[in-house]
Amino acid sequence: MADDRLERLAGVLVDYSTGVKEGDLVCIDTDPAAAPLVEAIWRRVLAAGAHPHLRVDLDGTQELLLREGNDAQIDWITPLRRAEVERADVRIAIEAEANTRANTTVDPERLARAERAREPLRRIHFRRASAGELRAVITVFPTNGTAQEANMSLAEYEDFVFRAGLLDHADPVADWTALGATYTELGTWLGERQTIRVVTDGTDLTLGVAGRTWIPCDGRENFPDGEVFTGPVESQVDGVVRFTYPATYSGRRLSGIELEFREGQVVRASADEGEELLLRMLELDDGARHVGELAFGLNEAITEFTGHTLFDEKIGGTMHLALGASYPESGGTVQSALHWDLVCDLRAGSEVYADGELVYRDGRFVEGLF
Amino acid sequence: MTDPRVERLGGLIVDYSLALEEGQIVRIDTLEVGSPLALACYRAALRAGAHPYTNVSLPGLGEELLHNGSEDQVTYISPIQWEEIEQLDALVTIWSEVNTRSLSRVDPERHAQHIAANRKLSNRRWERISKGEMSWCGTLFPTNGHAQEAEMSLAEYEDFVFAACHVHEEDAASHWRAVSAGLGARAAELGSFRELRIVGPDTDLRLGVDGRSWLAADGRYNMPDGEVFTSPIETETEGEIRYTFPAVYHGREVEDIRLRFEAGRVVQAEAARGNDYLRSLLDMDPGARVLGEVAFGLNYEIDRFTRNILFDEKIGGTMHLALGSGFQQTGGRNTSGLHWDMICDLREEGEVYADGELIWKNGHFLAEPALEVVESAVGG
Repeated sequence: MADDRLERLAGVLVDYSTGVKEGDLVCIDTDPAAAPLVEAIWRRVLAAGAHPHLRVDLDGTQELLLREGNDAQIDWITPLRRAEVERADVRIAIEAEANTRANTTVDPERLARAERAREPLRRIHFRRASAGELRAVITVFPTNGTAQEANMSLAEYEDFVFRAGLLDHADPVADWTALGATYTELGTWLGERQTIRVVTDGTDLTLGVAGRTWIPCDGRENFPDGEVFTGPVESQVDGVVRFTYPATYSGRRLSGIELEFREGQVVRASADEGEELLLRMLELDDGARHVGELAFGLNEAITEFTGHTLFDEKIGGTMHLALGASYPESGGTVQSALHWDLVCDLRAGSEVYADGELVYRDGRFVEGLF
Repeated sequence: MTDPRVERLGGLIVDYSLALEEGQIVRIDTLEVGSPLALACYRAALRAGAHPYTNVSLPGLGEELLHNGSEDQVTYISPIQWEEIEQLDALVTIWSEVNTRSLSRVDPERHAQHIAANRKLSNRRWERISKGEMSWCGTLFPTNGHAQEAEMSLAEYEDFVFAACHVHEEDAASHWRAVSAGLGARAAELGSFRELRIVGPDTDLRLGVDGRSWLAADGRYNMPDGEVFTSPIETETEGEIRYTFPAVYHGREVEDIRLRFEAGRVVQAEAARGNDYLRSLLDMDPGARVLGEVAFGLNYEIDRFTRNILFDEKIGGTMHLALGSGFQQTGGRNTSGLHWDMICDLREEGEVYADGELIWKNGHFLAEPALEVVESAVGG
């Protein structure tokens, strides 16, 4: 099962995304199914003179904990996880779900509880990452589970995943570097705007972004990548948004989500499917009703919805909002155990205005903006 | 389809071997192929109110490190590992190899470096175990790799392993509690002797055991289990012994070993195959020529050699004598980097005398007060 693209992916993750160097403690956090990719990464990390540390949980343990564990057990965080997030110089997380729906029938209250329990770890992670102490990337290894979620064969899905990472290009790192430069220019330009208004079928939403930083995402923290995002001003989100694509939350699908905002808060929420879960998520904590992130998906190699946020939020010609926590480096201040990305397709019949000026139409920024 | 024996084994380890309590932290080490047993342990630990988590190794990574890592990388122990070892209340090690020979071609010197570096960590673990601060149990989940090593089909090997753990019947814990009582009585009795003499084919060996205590291995540290052992007096081993089974050290086999002891030390050693390896191990350090352990294997569900020390040293009717480090808890004083268990089959022809009196013949202790308990419990 020697797939040349796996070697390239490992190379990009180790050398480009996280820049592993001699002496680094590199935590590789994954599921057993990702073994072939882990092996390639492990070799690269050793070749860089660093120390690989493997962290693999068995499939099925989380489900057992959520179904059979008591509250104290669900709330508990392993000392190992804490030591890892505090000590690692690099973290390479590889999702490789054997079954994307293993938690579908788990009590949502318990899922939310487990989510809250992990909040301290997330906080340490973000603090160390934004202080430059931790370089962390997350990626997806194709499995039959994720292929099935995308309505594809495994071979088709592998092609999709590797194409999205530009791994079919002769020099993926050069291409990601070039894209990064473009995203940076776009981010700088957007950073000078005060408001963004998004208009499309069922959506007319205005978000204040004055003084906020737009972050270009060029494959260092997510892989594949391709977006620019910011944290909108917490009290300045007004209007209605209807998300085109279904969203998933821990193995449950929600579709036709519609949200109405006033002064930054969700004041009305509905969904064609999964409305009860949506309402529950909004009640998770104070931050869950706020927008922590506004972003434009820019990866032209991702053209279709596949039911996995890592890819869906980067579809070229989409925008997404995240309910819940913002990324501090964008200037956003929302705190929440939730960070839930919801994606809106803008490729057909849409307009985006920046400070009243039309800057984006039908999935593309207007030529000559910057 | 869950094999009920796997569920029972998970429960046995958690409830009997580790006696996990509410709030305790337990790590379960396994390869993915050991997943059914790891999940059974995980579930049992949840039921006990403990905090379990799994730690899965992926095949191939250890070889990669040993083949291509620098010395710095091969001997590295991360601060994460150091922190973790202080926090564990219990550890389950599930040995479950997909390929038992994957390290065969690794440079022995680099392997030794890696083991030596990791010994710092395992020493700390043993220190915490011996102080009663944490518990540990090593067990095995049957795979084709282990079955192949034992020259059995996977189905046969599963039957063998689960019978050895006595989880082929319900209420395995009661069985092991009875075994524990029997082995305890046997150990107490052996503790009253001053000298053992082992007589068998090409074997006539005297060992001083005066003042040493015998311990019962009753399923707490290993599952399966079933032996009583002590460390003989370091200067009093005299005579010769021939080991019937191949002796395995770090995956390499030495066949048909014959040793002659004088005043506790090996003075003559030869093997039909692997002589050089035998000699190099004997010369590892001064303690490597001295016995660190003498033990009776008493698990009669284990009736054949399977090239796995977890089982082989407990074969009912055998004895094993280990060269190298002894056990402080028994009064042993020998120190060495080596602890090499070698097994002697005494089932066909074999006698053991204690202070001149015959106590064991052809693989069984003779009728004595403690005998009934041991035989009925262990023999099942």
